[in-house]
Formats: sequence, C-alpha cells, structure tokens
Amino acid sequence: MMRTRARGRYSPEHVSFGWIALFSGPALVLYTVLVIVPIFTAFVYGLFTWKGTTPDAFVGLGNYVELFTRYPVNEQLGSALWHNVLFFVGTMAIQNTIGLGLAVLLHRTRRGKRVFQTLYSTPYLLSPLIVGYLWAMLLSPTFGPINEALRAVGLDALALPWLGQPSTALPVLILINAWQWIGGPLLIFGAALGGIPAELEEAGQLDGASSWRLFWAVRFPMIMPAVGVITVLTFIGCFNIFDLVYALGGSNGGPSGSMDVLGLLYYRLAFDGGTNAIGDSSAMAVLMFILVFGVAIALERLLRRREA
Amino acid sequence: MSKFRKATLAAAALTVSTLVLAGCAPSAGPAGADGDDSTITVWGWRQEDAKTYDKIFTAFEDAHPGVTVEYVPYLNTEYDTILSTGLKDASGPDVAQLRSYGLLQPLVESGDLVALDDEVADLADFSPSVLDGARGVSDGAVYGVPFAIQTLHVIYNKAVFDELGIEEPTTWDEMISAFDEIKASGITPLVNTVTDTWMLPIEQEIFGAGTYGATPYLEKMLDGEASFTDAPWVDSVDAWTSTRAYWGDAYQGTSYEDAQALFTSGKAAAFPGGIWELANFRKANPDLELGIFNAPAPDGSGVPVPGYVDGSFGVSNASDNKDAALELVQWMATADFGQAFTDELAQISPVPGVTPSDPLLAEAVDAYAAEPSPYITYAYFSGGTPGAWDLASSSFSSLILDEIDAAAAAGKIQQGIDQWFTPRS
Repeated sequence: MMRTRARGRYSPEHVSFGWIALFSGPALVLYTVLVIVPIFTAFVYGLFTWKGTTPDAFVGLGNYVELFTRYPVNEQLGSALWHNVLFFVGTMAIQNTIGLGLAVLLHRTRRGKRVFQTLYSTPYLLSPLIVGYLWAMLLSPTFGPINEALRAVGLDALALPWLGQPSTALPVLILINAWQWIGGPLLIFGAALGGIPAELEEAGQLDGASSWRLFWAVRFPMIMPAVGVITVLTFIGCFNIFDLVYALGGSNGGPSGSMDVLGLLYYRLAFDGGTNAIGDSSAMAVLMFILVFGVAIALERLLRRREA
Repeated sequence: MSKFRKATLAAAALTVSTLVLAGCAPSAGPAGADGDDSTITVWGWRQEDAKTYDKIFTAFEDAHPGVTVEYVPYLNTEYDTILSTGLKDASGPDVAQLRSYGLLQPLVESGDLVALDDEVADLADFSPSVLDGARGVSDGAVYGVPFAIQTLHVIYNKAVFDELGIEEPTTWDEMISAFDEIKASGITPLVNTVTDTWMLPIEQEIFGAGTYGATPYLEKMLDGEASFTDAPWVDSVDAWTSTRAYWGDAYQGTSYEDAQALFTSGKAAAFPGGIWELANFRKANPDLELGIFNAPAPDGSGVPVPGYVDGSFGVSNASDNKDAALELVQWMATADFGQAFTDELAQISPVPGVTPSDPLLAEAVDAYAAEPSPYITYAYFSGGTPGAWDLASSSFSSLILDEIDAAAAAGKIQQGIDQWFTPRS
C-alpha cells in the first residue's frame, strides 16, 4: 500500500474505472460501430436470401450450404483456401526467414544499419495496389524491363510471361509480397535481437560457441516472442490478402485462377454475384472471419505455450 | 468519489457525442440530390461524359421550360453499389443509367424500377434483341430505354494492311492467309488480351460466331434444344483458339493494356475487341488509320457481327418526380436524343433511324444491322448465378493455358448454368 502510494496517484493499480472509461470509451465506441456491428450485420445478412438490396427469405445456413455445393464456388473455395495456405507457407519461408537473416546481419553491423533498415522498409510506404501495377509492368512479357534484361544477357529461356502462366504466378506473387513487407520482420526481429542482454551473448562467446551455435542456443530462443507475433501477423495478412493479388491478376485470380484467394472469391461473390450477392458474400465473410480469428487465437495459444 | 463520478459522466458524454457523430455519417445526402420538383436528377457511371450529357439534355430543357435535367456521375466501379442504395430513396435519382442483362436483374428483383412497356410507346419500334438488354428475366418487362449498343470486331491497322497489299478478308481462309503474310513480315498479326480474362469471351464471340451459327443457335439454346457442350459451340471455341499461332510471343502474359499498346504502337496489326476501343486507340495514337472487319464463317455461310446492349435509362420507383422522369425517358427513345447521343459521344445509338456521323461507327452499325449476332455468354446466360460470362472467363483462361480442352471448357460453363437455367416454354 505504502509502496504504490509512493509511486504517485496514477499507478496502474489505482486508476479508477472512470478514468479508464474516459480514455478507452471513444475508441471502444468507434471499434463497436466500425468493427463489431458490421461483423454482426454480416452474420445476420448471411442468414437471408436477398433480392438485390431487399432481404427476401430467412434461410438459416442455406447460403453456407450454397457456398459448399454450388458450382463453381464449391471448387473455387477449396482452391482459394489452398492458395492462401501456400501463400502463408511461402511468406513464412521467404519473407520472414530472409527478414530474420537480414536482421541478424544488421544487428552485428554498426555502420549503415539505419540506412539499410530504412531502405528495406521503404516499400511499406506504397499501397499494395501501386506495388502490384508496378511489378505487373516490370514483368510484362512484351514491354517489361525484366524480360528484356534477361534476353540481353542471353537468358532467353527465362524470359517468361511470369504472371501469365499458372506455374509461376503464385511464386511470383509470394516474392513480390515479400519484397514489399520484408521491412516488418526486419524491424521487429531487429528490436528483439537488440533486447537480448549483452551478458548472455558474451557468456556464449566466452564458452567458445560459434556464431551459428550462438544464434540457435542463445538468440533464437530469446526472440521467440517476436517469432510468435510475426507468425500471427503473417497469418492474418496472408489470409486477408486482396489488393496485391487483385492488382497482379484481376478479380479472377490470374492465369487459370492460379492466384485465386479467399479475398478475391469474396469480392466476386459480393460485386459480380447476381441477385443474392449480399447473402452469398455475407456468408463468405463470416466463414473467413471464423477461419482467421479461430486460427489466429489457436496460433497465439500454441506459441505462448512454447515460449513458457 | 466525486472525481470518479465526474470522469464517468465525461466518458458517457464523450460516448454519446461519438455515437451521434458516427450515426450522422451514413445519412448525409448524396451529391446532387434535392427535393426541387423542377429538377430531374439523372445518375450515371460516365464521369468522362458528364459535360456532354448536360449538353445533350439542353434540348429537352428547351422544350420543357422550367425543367432542369442534371446528370450526376459516380465512379464507374462503385456505381452499382451506390445506385442500389440510391434507388430506395426519393433523395436518390429520378432517372438512372442501368447496366444491361444479368447486372440489371438485382435492381428488377428489388422492385426499384418502373416497368416501361406501357409508359414509353416508342419502345415498340426497338428491335426485340435490343430490348433484351433492358428486360427483367423474371417477368419479361422492359425496365429501361437502351442508350448504347456495342459491337465486336477485328479492329486493324490500315497502314499495315495497305503496305502488305492485304484487303479486308471476305472468307475465313483469306483471313488466315492474311495473318500468315503479316506474320512473315515480322509484325504480330493479332494481339489478344489474355490475362484480363473478361476479354476472352469477347474474342471467342468474334472468331466463333460464324462457327456455332449466331442467332439461330441462340434460339435453340434458349429453347433447351442445344447447349454449350454441343459440337457447334465447342467447335466455335476451337475456331477461336486456332488463331493462337498469330497472337505473338509469350501471349500468355498479354494484359489488356499490353494488347492496346502493342496495337496502337504498330507492333501488332489487328486487335479483336469492342467498338468502344476506337476512342481509346485514336487518343493513344491520333495518326493511326483504323479499319474494322468481322471473322467470316469458315463454311462460307456469312459474316456475323456480334453486338449487345451496353445499358439503358430507367425510372426510379422512389422518385417523387416520376411524371417528369417518364417524360425524359420517353424523349430518350426518340431520334432527337439518339442522334445527339451518337454525334456527341461517338457511340452507337439503338434508337431506330439514327445514323452515326463517324464513318467507322456507321460501318459498324450497317454491318451489325445486316447480320446481327448475339454475345451469348454475356447477354443471355448471365441472369442467374453463376453467370455464363464469369464461367467462360475463367474456363477460357484455363483453356488458353492448355490446362483443359475446348470440350472441357464448354462443360464447365454448362455445368454452371445447369444449376439455374430453365429453357423457355
């Protein structure tokens, strides 16, 4: 009691409910109006069939059954989900691994650290739509400088319609996405590495650990919380992706639907969906919410347990 | 304790004011809405044409003293959403530009539009296939006065054809040997858009109409006596893909913009597409001399010209100025409006008796009038979900990339529409 009082009247244990309400109230209201209410609305909308903008009949889970039985949505649902999974796995493997590698390299350098951090994070400032159109132009098989450069050095066989063939479209998407967002893991891992007590690293070095050993035995376990945060954020980002894929491949998901993802499927249901577009797309939105929210919570739990 | 009270009260007050602010936002009226009865508000998606529409409407205003017609354009891509809400309310449009065929159906189903069959007498002179573009599928009533027709052609670069001494082909074989000659000269004969999949059904229609048999085959399909999976239609898809030899290197990656640029820069000799491209091409390269032709039927049976209705003008049921609005759409069905429309906007008017002043447009109109052919996937099998146009766009994408053959692509379209399509009785 004495101790907390000595710290001052704003110690966390003593802030009154009124003050908490005062400061969090406005944000809570906005959050409710802009997030909770739409989610709830989508859930209710999804229980009806619609005629344009007029609710027609209560169908319970009928719209959900439609999504899983009506051709071609039933097939697209599976392939879109699979592409989201591949996108997540690819992003974890490429963006976050390279991001971690760069963070470790920058952690050990003194000169130029800031410059490189800024450079790698610059694409953050661009809208994914702009990034998408930019890369679509760079990769254009007819005008694109990338293929022209490949031809100029004699690699004609590699001058491919990168975004035009199913085998390369998704990998290229993963690389472009990684190019844009690699600054995220770089900065978060960098901060986590900077937070490791120097004496731990020194103790390891004194014991003669190689830098490889030092990384796996000392640094990596210490940055596990950051790994957890990055994994969950990457998951949410990868399963909600829309703008970049739309810019690179249009609303049908690129060549033969090879980049189709849940976000695009939702877009098509909502905006090219016909008379019951609101019913179909609301059901789809609820499914996506349940998937992303559920897995994100599960991932959080799992990673927390491993940290402990 | 009193401190706690004060803070709670402050929080409550803030909460209430935020709620009020948030509640205000959606009810703010849309631009151009007003309750003045002498103003007819027309909503549309053509921002680039707003000034021209105002000019066209002057003639109506002059004939109706005291009446003002105001064209309020919205962003093309957001228009459908804005319109579906706007039609619910008297503060919305009196007259609205409506999409055609399948995209019109949600508005008809919501009961937001006035049926015009008994209101606009001049509609009786329009051809039935044109009125199909503004018809409700469920009740067969006409809900708009069609304002534009788009026709589909092979648009070509006259300079390239002249230089090689090539005439406009009159048979399929002449067309193929023309492409061969152009290819031998080092120019891409025919640049097709591939990655923007909405163009694929257009290309199939341009090169396939003569193979499946145009309108008579459509009639059979609507009666349930023919389908996408029958030989004529599957062959029409093969007829289109047989031209792939002329599409240029790495055509799998060609986007809509790429194709346009290749054509206007003279690197490609021909571009299969809609008549609306003329404006784009002339803007991109004013020196380009353009010509149009259509793919002749391989069996010599004719030269079908595919076309479809681009949109119509309808009257909102929620309008509090319905009489004036009806008078305006009645005027839109007359040659006065049609001629002004085609002259000012360089588009094809569906109003009977209107001739475009632009020679190429006039050529397109004559060709379409001589042998009209439907745009089947977009116009006639898009009234349900999934629509044939979406199905064709995605299955043709797989087809062009050699993942499936024409029969499988047709099978996917048929499988999709079989879920909702019932033949007319």
